Amino acid sequence: MRIDPDLCIACGQCVPYCPVKAIRLEAGADFAEIDFDECAECSNCLRMAECPTDAIYQQELVWPRTVRSLLSDPLTVAKESGITGRGTEEMKTNDVTGRFKRGFAGIAIELGRPVLGARFYDVEKVAQAVASLGVEFEPRNPTTSLMEDPRIGKFKEDILNEKVVSAILEFAVKLEQLPQLLEIIKRVADEIKTVFSLDIATRVNPDGSVPIEPVVKAAGLWLSPNGKTNIGLGRPLVKEH
Amino acid sequence: MTHTLHRMGSVENLSEDYVVLMMPSKDINHAGSGPKLRRFLQMALDNGAIKIGDGRLGNQYHQGGVDKVLENVEDRAVVHAVFRDTESLARTLLAVKEADFGLSVVVSGLFGEVEKCCKRVGLEKHTVNISMGRWGRTENLPPQEILEINTMCGHGMVTVGLIEEVIAEVRNKRCTLEEGAERLFRPCVCGIFNPHRAAQLLEEMTAKEQ
Repeated sequence: MRIDPDLCIACGQCVPYCPVKAIRLEAGADFAEIDFDECAECSNCLRMAECPTDAIYQQELVWPRTVRSLLSDPLTVAKESGITGRGTEEMKTNDVTGRFKRGFAGIAIELGRPVLGARFYDVEKVAQAVASLGVEFEPRNPTTSLMEDPRIGKFKEDILNEKVVSAILEFAVKLEQLPQLLEIIKRVADEIKTVFSLDIATRVNPDGSVPIEPVVKAAGLWLSPNGKTNIGLGRPLVKEH
Repeated sequence: MTHTLHRMGSVENLSEDYVVLMMPSKDINHAGSGPKLRRFLQMALDNGAIKIGDGRLGNQYHQGGVDKVLENVEDRAVVHAVFRDTESLARTLLAVKEADFGLSVVVSGLFGEVEKCCKRVGLEKHTVNISMGRWGRTENLPPQEILEINTMCGHGMVTVGLIEEVIAEVRNKRCTLEEGAERLFRPCVCGIFNPHRAAQLLEEMTAKEQ
């Protein structure tokens, strides 16, 4: 995103709308500026700031900068998933897709969320760490499509410095792999320059209990009291063996 | 995974915050889903939803009103309804169950409360998705009370800067709590932000500061 300095009247209306604080308006300046390297191309300023002089404009997006918009602008439709946003249908349609089967846990590591944003060198660091466990990254996830070699979590070289509001690494592991995975995640969390939000999805047991709970608790980790529940109303229900 | 997950807060302040999502699955049941999604949104409004939204086309401000949100729903939409109480939530879930749309439904909120609502209307959990919190350089994050508002938009569009600006406006009596909360809702294009809860959080914050 850009601000036309000839049109900008330095009203500052756009400044609070940037999620990564890339819009700057110095005291006494005649116009606001967007730090082009920090801007994640989410379009929030363009959509929301109601610029009185229409000084904010979308410059032409070319590779690899297109990656920023793909993962940061919630209204961009990803061709891999066919839905808006940086994720997939994941557990939301698990009742009809069976993506996460009994005995497995779906994992999502969302780099940059909340607030800080992420560059792909950090996304890659985490991807390579978990890839050592032999995980298969979800092919319909747009972040996976940016990998050069998903088997080892290697991303395309020219996107490593691209900044996004967030990028999701999505995969499933067998429940027995979970303790080892959590150890890997703990270790790599100390090696990155940003934050990530971690979540875990699982098919509920026939008695209503949640199979991952004892495993996570045994690892001494926290589970949130709130979250998402798929209530099984999709049809046709997936056949489970 | 995912935009309605990772909402931060205490059990107490999360107890008036629920989102119901309905979506078709690509190539399984998406054909002809638009009218069903529209009926669901209308059903949610009739049963007490405080906001509705469409993750594909935007919330009521992007589309020019609640009527437009309803009118524009397409076959592959991901639609949402926000609730502030479990009575409205349970009524909606019962209506959705009876309508038998055949589309996937996900309820976000306190697991215990959601489970109680489901049991009341004869529904069972199929799959759950649980946040394990924030990792890495968490020392660089803003304070908890700011994050409790920010994380109600999973895409991060309700920014820290905007939240701080609204807090200042409320504190200086340039807007009411409700007006401030509604302003915070606007950038959340999916329409999943809960302005009722935001007003409560703003009230707590501004009272504490005074």
